[in-house]
Amino acid sequence: MQGRINHASFDTLIIGGGIAGCEAALNLANNEFKVLLVEKDLSIGGKMILLSKVFPTLDCSACITTPKVSEVSRHPGIMLFTGSEVKKIVRIAYNNFDATVVKNPRYVIAEDCTGCQLCEEACPVIVRDQYQMDLVGRKAAYIPFIIASPRIAAIDIENCTLCGACEKVCPTNCIDFTQEPEEYQVTVKTVVLATGFKLFDPLMMPRYGYGLYKNVITSMQMERQLAPTRPFNTILRPGDGKVPDKIAYVLCTGSRDATVENPICSQICCMYSIKQAQLLMGALPMADVTIYYINIRSFGKGFEEFYEQAKGMGVNFIKGKIGRISEKENGNMMLRYEDINKGIVKESEHDMVVLSVGVLANQDTATFFSNDELKLDPFKFVYQVDSFASPARTSIDGVFVAGTASGPMDIPDSILSAGAASSEAIGYLIQKQ
Amino acid sequence: MEVEKGKTFKYLKDKREVSSGVIENLKYFNKMKKMIIGALTESKMTIPQLTKKINMPESEIVYYLMTLVKYGYVQTAEVDDMDEYFYYKIKNNG
Repeated sequence: MQGRINHASFDTLIIGGGIAGCEAALNLANNEFKVLLVEKDLSIGGKMILLSKVFPTLDCSACITTPKVSEVSRHPGIMLFTGSEVKKIVRIAYNNFDATVVKNPRYVIAEDCTGCQLCEEACPVIVRDQYQMDLVGRKAAYIPFIIASPRIAAIDIENCTLCGACEKVCPTNCIDFTQEPEEYQVTVKTVVLATGFKLFDPLMMPRYGYGLYKNVITSMQMERQLAPTRPFNTILRPGDGKVPDKIAYVLCTGSRDATVENPICSQICCMYSIKQAQLLMGALPMADVTIYYINIRSFGKGFEEFYEQAKGMGVNFIKGKIGRISEKENGNMMLRYEDINKGIVKESEHDMVVLSVGVLANQDTATFFSNDELKLDPFKFVYQVDSFASPARTSIDGVFVAGTASGPMDIPDSILSAGAASSEAIGYLIQKQ
Repeated sequence: MEVEKGKTFKYLKDKREVSSGVIENLKYFNKMKKMIIGALTESKMTIPQLTKKINMPESEIVYYLMTLVKYGYVQTAEVDDMDEYFYYKIKNNG
């Protein structure tokens, strides 16, 4: 439910509208608790809503995510704030927090927007589309992506020329450039942190040439290329539009690597790379896909079978750490690596390289609390006070953590974690009533 | 101050300056759009052929061409004989 706050007190404030935040919100709201869900992006659904398929079942990611986010958007017990940020949380007393939430202007009257996209058609400006990982352009007046929830247009004011074209064509007159940031003070009894994770920025590893060589892309860019709402309508090299036929995956880009201060395993890269490799074999039957790995960690339910299935489909697995990537004149990539099984250094040519980037903590989480210290673990994820008996508890009483805010995990584990966080929040609320 | 509905952009235009970067970006896109559509009006082309024709970096042509495909100015045609590059042509809305 979107709209203006008509009462300023809620049982729970959930920060983050990814899959974990949505799951926690639904669990709480279905148990008659009033929830305020704050998402900084223009749509809920987090990273999962942008994925093509999920491992190990290869179910369509959107098919799983959209019913959940639609339910969140429409639930009478959930007040949804998109394009909004929590600026400050102050503990007033036991079971009582004061939160300051700022709703950034969308320059569109949400209640009146029909999502017709006429404003997008009229807008003359093109900027890189962050929802397609910068592979293609979008307008300054735009619907974030096709399955965005809520499906409401927004004006990217930083890139707007203020030409008024969108306003002239809007059939409901819902474009409103007079909007300004709105600040809300709300009282909540519990807080659930579902702030998710950040992907490793491969610019931190110049030896892989990301940003310099156009045919070195991130796994998230490949994920978009494989999705039904993809930027190129097929799979192409961003450097020259060639259909790739020899693709390399570099595992552990920014994970298990002390040189970039992230020595831990990201837990999802092996499996999403294997998933993408399988999808590529389907999309480009003649393609040759090679995965360079240190170790394959297929620890979850159905993961090992999924790995064996990829091998059976013809995906090549080479145990080797990539040392350096260089570019040839034709846009192909030369990968220099150590073949660990043979104990020799080799070189191999591929026409496209996908960096399987790892998971990093979202460090914004620690800044919310002004008179309490939210403890973080050594890797800057939210510290779980009792990860065995009470995995959602944090160092602040009444504040719970859900999903990847507490550490790297895959989608099923994020949903389990959100279930744990909402259950603990419900227990806390009932106990304090 | 009562701002007339449907003309609120004027209100913000008085309060806020549009950066020169935004204007430059718009001009550059229009230039690229004109060049790509101009080239494709003559005949369908692959990206390497477009690169040769309009003398711009390939990666930029990919970005702008795909944006024109997204917004319905251009459409993808068949793949070349080597199965390497697709041809692109002006979208026939007729």
